[in-house]
Formats: sequence, structure tokens, C-alpha cells
Amino acid sequence: MLTYTLRKLLMLIPMLLVITFLIYVGLELTPGDAVSYMVGPDALANMSQEKLNELREALGLNDPFIVRYLRWLGRALRGDFGYSLTSGVPIKDIVFSRLPATLELSVAALLFSTLLGSILGMASALKKGSIMDVSLTVAGMIGVSIPQFFFALVSILIFSFKLGWLPSGGRTMPGYTTFLDRLPHLILPALVLGITMTAGVMRYSRSSMLDALSKDYIKTARSKGLPEWRVNLLHGFRVALTPVVVLVGFRLPMLIGGSVVVEQIFQWPGIGKEFVAAVRGQNLPLVMMIALFTVTAVLVASFLVDLITALLDPRIRLE
Amino acid sequence: MVYVDTILTVDNLHINFYTNNRCNEAVRGVSFQLKKGRTLCLVGESGCGKSVTASSIMRLLPPLSRIEEGRIIYHSEQGDIHLHELAANGPEIRSIRGAEIAMIFQDPMTALNPVYTVGFQIREAFLYHTKMAKAAMQQKAIELLRSMRIPAPEQRVNEYIHQYSGGMRQRAMIAMAMSCNPKILIADEPTTALDVTVQAQIFDLMNDLQKKHNAAILLITHDMGVVAELAHDVVVMYMGVAVENGPVEEVLTKPAHPYTSALLKSIPVLGQSRSKKLEPIRGSTPDPYNRPQGCQFRPRCDFATEKCLQEPEACSVGENHTVKCWHWEKVLANA
Amino acid sequence: MDRLKMLEKEGLLKSRQGSRAVGKFLQNKLAVLGLMVFAVILLASVFAPLITKYDPAMIDLRSRLSPPSWQHLFGTDKLGRDVFARVLYGGRISILVGFGGALGAALVGVSLGTYAGYKGGWLDRILLRVSEIFMAFPQIILVLLLVSILGQSLWNLLVIFTITGWGSVYRMTRSQMLSIREEEYVQALKAFGLSDALIAYKHMLPNALGPIMVNLTLSTAMFILEETALSFLGLGVPLHIPTWGNILNAAQDLTILQEAWWIWVPVGIVISAFVLSINFIGDGLRDAVDPTQQG
Ligand SMILES: Nc1ncnc2c1ncn2[C@@H]1O[C@H](COP(=O)(O)OP(=O)(O)O)[C@@H](O)[C@H]1O
Ligand SMILES: [Mg+2]
Repeated sequence: MLTYTLRKLLMLIPMLLVITFLIYVGLELTPGDAVSYMVGPDALANMSQEKLNELREALGLNDPFIVRYLRWLGRALRGDFGYSLTSGVPIKDIVFSRLPATLELSVAALLFSTLLGSILGMASALKKGSIMDVSLTVAGMIGVSIPQFFFALVSILIFSFKLGWLPSGGRTMPGYTTFLDRLPHLILPALVLGITMTAGVMRYSRSSMLDALSKDYIKTARSKGLPEWRVNLLHGFRVALTPVVVLVGFRLPMLIGGSVVVEQIFQWPGIGKEFVAAVRGQNLPLVMMIALFTVTAVLVASFLVDLITALLDPRIRLE
Repeated sequence: MVYVDTILTVDNLHINFYTNNRCNEAVRGVSFQLKKGRTLCLVGESGCGKSVTASSIMRLLPPLSRIEEGRIIYHSEQGDIHLHELAANGPEIRSIRGAEIAMIFQDPMTALNPVYTVGFQIREAFLYHTKMAKAAMQQKAIELLRSMRIPAPEQRVNEYIHQYSGGMRQRAMIAMAMSCNPKILIADEPTTALDVTVQAQIFDLMNDLQKKHNAAILLITHDMGVVAELAHDVVVMYMGVAVENGPVEEVLTKPAHPYTSALLKSIPVLGQSRSKKLEPIRGSTPDPYNRPQGCQFRPRCDFATEKCLQEPEACSVGENHTVKCWHWEKVLANA
Repeated sequence: MDRLKMLEKEGLLKSRQGSRAVGKFLQNKLAVLGLMVFAVILLASVFAPLITKYDPAMIDLRSRLSPPSWQHLFGTDKLGRDVFARVLYGGRISILVGFGGALGAALVGVSLGTYAGYKGGWLDRILLRVSEIFMAFPQIILVLLLVSILGQSLWNLLVIFTITGWGSVYRMTRSQMLSIREEEYVQALKAFGLSDALIAYKHMLPNALGPIMVNLTLSTAMFILEETALSFLGLGVPLHIPTWGNILNAAQDLTILQEAWWIWVPVGIVISAFVLSINFIGDGLRDAVDPTQQG
């Protein structure tokens, strides 16, 4: 298990290094000079070329590229990601102030879609070829074919404007204190995000369950005289579960990216909305750092998922 | 005619598969009787329907397949049970599975669940057939493993199947099958995945068990050497048909079906002189979706005539020895 | 059901040979339905000028925001442009971008995957790592990142889709090649001394085409969805070009969302129907190509 962990870690680190390098190249290539992020446009206009060069030297901007990269990486590792181009706020502060909202939305959608998707998928597999199976499969196809934003718009039109049951956007209102106050705001975006994901989870758990049910040990379990529920749950479901856990694990960080559209439509103040604003405002440092942040989250999560899989599978755990 | 010591009768069994929108008549007429304390070998090349026949006895056929015709009767102590009429996974067949009839499979690595310990899987077998406390079950599992000559069973019982060696896996599988002292043990090519030396140990073990519990064994193999060594009775299958059926000495020495005879000539049999020339069977196995009319062996048979376009009936060659061939007398004379 | 099949067997021993895959595809009702919907929407877009007399860009301020009528089937938008015409003409661009992106990704992914999968070695290892890096990004994040670097234009979008999509095609092609590589005829060709590229592209690639086609179909659907999402956010195809996403962009305006449903609901349904039809086709293809699945 230890060697397994180390091996996975050894694959993770070079990838992160390459990605940070690429991101840094992107940052360097962006129009404008690092000085301009720090001095402000007015001061910059009045500054003499000599003064500018002095400043560049002092900031180390004239050092070789690789030195600059390493210095940047060092700062990033200490949590200093630079400043937003438009507001001058530290990027770290922006990301961490937006993160809770995105996590709240993602976790809600993830819980919903995982529960619904895996149950429907497994049931579908157990009744393979039945009317229920076919209709669920078709429903799943429809689910992945409707654009998420269209689905969001329709749900806003119906549930917010026509029926007036739920707010159409935002996360909170003045005077709200508890999670329960905010809950109505969460329902629509989480549902929209969750339902589009349910289709994926359902499809995946169906095939995972079918795969498990076709294994020889299912026949062995039956040959011992076990009742069907035990065969299906303990021998089928239990084995089919591992890949579903893996999928869900991968989904969480992907959601941080995947919630971009939903956050935008529902004006949910998370990272995705911030990201769209940054892209629109050509705020490249912020765009790059949010991308770096999500990709790091994805890679770290997939590393953790590997570990969880290993723990669930004695073949790896006991190696 | 049912003998007193007959424990299982399979009579004119037909099984079809309906996969790929086609109909595959995988088993088309298999009959035999399994007797207490004796071993019956089902031989034939791969794909001839041996596993399907074996699975049908326990009603473990995959979906999209079913018993079309024929009977499978288990002569239990409480009277005859018509296995072919029971609901596929219903309570009746479940109470027989594992308790009265048990099965071991070809590849123990895939036939045992990788995510549970061997002990857990053996205990599961007790769960629905006995009323034991968990500790007693664990004790029994350890004993079973010990009787299968697995070293350090107290420790092994809590290990997973991938931690076992190939031979030990199959012994664990047998331990599981024997856990409730079944009257019938069905072994589907139990040693194909194993080395020759381990193979011998496994057969030894099965022999011992048979002597101790007077169990009937249905052994599936494609190895004539195994047949010669272990079988009391033999059923030879070709393309889903049981072409010849009889006591081992009779069938091996006086094969009455051209396929059996050709099979014996094509493989070295223990005890036969080495100088004998091996002759492979000419032609190749037909496509199950494009079967020859009449006798399945006709296109490859040296004795084939017009008459063979009709399905041959079972003819009696000797006591308990039957064959499905129009020309069996010629075959016997030719040998 | 089983009985029917048995009768079939007794009656006519059907031995469907030759175009078994085509037959299997045509048996799949959903795939055929998908093919029909697909064809209708595609043809309507291609022959848009024959179907509608309106110019999608023609502004008519006298008939702004008019609801659907015989004059304007889907009504008109804020500037009085005919929405039906915009949907038809928008389909041209949206389908082009989706298909073009998928095709670009397939070209890059397949040509790299075929060779690297056959040769193996360091080339394959490096490409595998690179594709992993691309695939670690959530798709939309990478797309938006590239949009902000490269800027917004139709061509850039095609390039961006190629960059984001080649990784998965590469991996799929590679794994296909790895299994084909073990087959005997490949060994035989090698023994003849044929060049690697010839063996890989001429002799092995055709046998991997089935899954590649399936992938191409399904990624077309994915890229159409992505284009509409991007354009909806105002970050895809420049707004003056009508595309499905750009038409929907208008619905960001809450009054339009509430009062002028005809501007965004029909186009949303058209997108969904089109993507769904492609998904059905892709699924049907997958079943038809895959020999292990039962029909
Ligand atoms: N799960 C299955 N699905 C479809 N066909 C099967 C299945 N199992 C067996 N068959 C068919 O039944 C026939 C007999 O197979 P089997 O009993 O496994 O042969 P063997 O004698 O090697 O054990 C073969 O033609 C095979 O194609
Ligand atoms: Mg078999």
C-alpha cells in the first residue's frame, strides 16, 4: 500500500510541475508586464525608462526565465498567487472567498446525482432489457443532450417566474443567517447541475453493475444457494460500487469547472462565476490561476480517489 | 429404469441460447444417470455443451437461455425432485444448491469474489443451510480448509483469494463446495487452469471426499487421460449431443461411436503403447449456427451414409452402454 | 419472445452476412429515428435560403419582439430579426463548429494515436502524459482559458476544440492499436519488411475505424453543446454571427426570458433534438460495431 501510494505520488508531482510551468509560460506571454500589475497605470505613465528598469531589476524580472519560474512557483507554494488585474485584490483571497459557495453547490449536486444515479443505474442493470431499463436509458440520453443552460433557463421560467416557488438566482439575501434560510436559493441550481450529472452516473453504474453481474463469482454465489438479494447486493453491488466511487470522486473537482455555466445563470457567487467574469474582462492572471487551481484540485482528487479505490480493493490494499 | 443408487437422472435434455437474435441449440439430447459414490465424466471438445449441461442441473443457466425439453430429476431422500420444473432462483432450488448439489468451477480466480475473504465466502455457504453461530461457522471453515490440506488454515481463512496460490485456490473452492456435505458434486474442468502436479493433488482430494461421503461426482473434462483414471461412467458429447454413454472400460476399449473412436485415436491415453500413431480427426467443428442436418458428426465421419441425414436414435450396445449412431456395429467391427 | 425466435429459426435459417453492422444499426429503432431527425435539421440548415425568405441579419424595427405568426414562424427578436431564419442559418455555424471541432480532434488524435500505438516506446509515453495533462483540466475551464488567450473567433473556436479534444481520441485509438498489434497479420506484415507507417496507417487503422467513427459522432454532439454554452455566455462565436448559442444568448435578459419565450425555447428544443439524435446515432453505431454486444 505504501509503495502504491508513493508510486501514485511520483506520477502526480511531475504532472503538476509541467502544468504550473505551462501556466507560467501563459502568464509571461500575456500582454503587459508584471510591473504593470503592481504600479498602476497612472504611475506607470509618468515613470522614466531608467526607473522602470531599476524596478524590474529589483523585482527580478530581468533574471533568466527558469529562475523567474522557480521564484514564482516558490511564491505560489506559499500561497501567494499574485493580484487580480482589475481589482488589485490578491488572487488567493478571491479564490478562497468564492470557494465555499462553489463547494456548497457542487456537494449538493453530487450527493443528489450520486444517490439517484447509482440506484437507478443498478436497478436498470438488474432488470436489463425491461421497459424500465429502456426508458431509463432513453431518459439518460435526453438528460445528456439538453444543454445545461437551456435546462436552467426553463427551470427558472417555470419555478421562479411562473410558479414563484423558488428564487431565480443569488445565494443569500440580507438578513439570512442559517443554511436553512439560504436553502431555497440552492435548490434550483443544485437540481439543474445534479440532474445533468445523474444521467452520467446512471449510465456508468448500470454498466458497472452489468459487468459485475456477468462475473463467474456471481454464479458461484448462486450455486451456494444464496438468495437473489444477497447475490445482487453483496456480490454484485459491492463490486460494482468501486468504479462508481471512482467516478464520483473525479466528478467533484470537475464540478468546480462544470458549474461555470450554472453559476453564471443563477448568479451563484462561486468560482465559476468569477472565472467567467475574468475571461470576459481579459483578466488573465486570474483566469490562469483559477485554471491552475481547478486542475490541481482534479489531480489531487484523482490521487485521493486512487487511494480510496485501493482501500476498497484488497488486491491492491494488501500488495 | 431407475436404479436404487441413482441420485440424478438427466433425460433427453435440450437447451437453447437466444443471444445475438439467433437461436443456438447448445444442448440437443443429453441423457445420463449419476450414481451414488461414483464418478461420471462428461467429455467432449470445448464448445460442445458440457458446461451448459452442468449449469442446467443447478438451474444456473444465463439469461437468454432455457431448457426446451427433457427432464432433470434429483432423487433425494425425501423423494424425486423435478429440477427442470423449479423456478429459476426460487426457494426450492436454492435449498438444494450448495446443500444437496454443489459445484466447482474451472477458474477459481474468477469464480471466487476478490473483495471478500475466503472465510467469508465459505461461511456464506452455511448461512442458508444450517443454523450455526458465526464463531462456529468460522471454526468449521477453518476445519474445512485444513481437511483440504491448506497450511495454516487459521490464518488463511482471513485472506483473500489473490493471496492464495493456484492449487490452493481450487482447494478453497472445493472446501466451499463440500461445506454442507452435498450428495452431488459437479466439477466443471476443475484442473484446466492448474499445473499437472497440482492437478493430481486435486483429483486425489476429490477421490478421498467421494469415499468419505459417498458423494456422486459429475466431472467435466476434455482430457481422456483424466477419464481413464477417474471415471466409472463416461458420457461423450459432440455438438450438444450425448453420442455415447457407458461404463468407462466399455467405452474406452470398445468405442461404438465414430467420434469416440476417433477421439481415442487422436490423443495419447495413459497405458496405451507409445508406438501407436496418433490420428487427428479430419475436418473441423461446425459452426453452431450452421449445423449439419441429421447426425452432427456426419461431415467428419468415415462411416457416413445417406441414412445419417436423419438424427440417429440411441441404440443399446451392451448393458448400460448406449450409442447414437446408425452404424455402430460397423464401428465396433472396424476397431 | 423466445418462441418467436425459435419459429424464426425453424422457418428460415437466416445467415445475415455481409453488411451485418448496417443491418444491426437499422434494427435499432432509436438510431433510425435519430438519423431521421438529424437529416431533417441538417438539410434544413444547409438549404436555409430555400426554406425561408428572411435574411437572418435583416433588422426590422417596426416588427420587434412579435410573437410567432405565419409571417414569422418563431416570431422576431429584439431587433425585429426573424428567429426562424436565425435558427436555420445558426444551425449552419453551430453544426460546422461542432463537427469541425470533432473532426480536427479526430485527425490529430487518430494520426498520433495510430503511429504511437503501433510503435510504442518513448513517443507513446510522452504523448500519453501530454494527453493526460490536457484531460486533467475540466473541459470548459480549458476551453475558456484558451478563449481568453487566443481571443474570440470562429477559427479560434475550431482550434480550441481540437486542442481540448484530441487527448481522448488519442487514447482510444492507441488502445485499439495496442490490441490490433497483437494480431497475426500484423506480425506477418512486419515480417514482409513493410515500413512502420504503412503497416500502421494502411493496414491497421482501417480495423480501428469503427470505434473512431463512434467517437467522432459522440464528440460532435459534445462540441455542439459546448459551442452553444460558450456562445450563450457570450464567449464563443462573435455575437454578430448567428449560431444556436448566440440566439439563446438573448435569454440572459430576464425580460426576454419571461416575456419572449419564442426567441429561446424553440432554438433550445432544436439544439436538444439535434444533439439527442446524434447521441442515438452514436449509440446505434456503437452497438453495431461492437461484436460482443447482443442485439
Ligand atoms: N453465456 C453464453 N451465451 C451465449 N452462448 C453460450 C453461453 N454459454 C455457452 N454458450 C454456447 O453454448 C455452447 C456450449 O458451450 P459450453 O457448454 O460452454 O461448452 P463446453 O463444452 O466447452 O463447456 C457453445 O456453442 C456456446 O457458444
Ligand atoms: Mg466449459
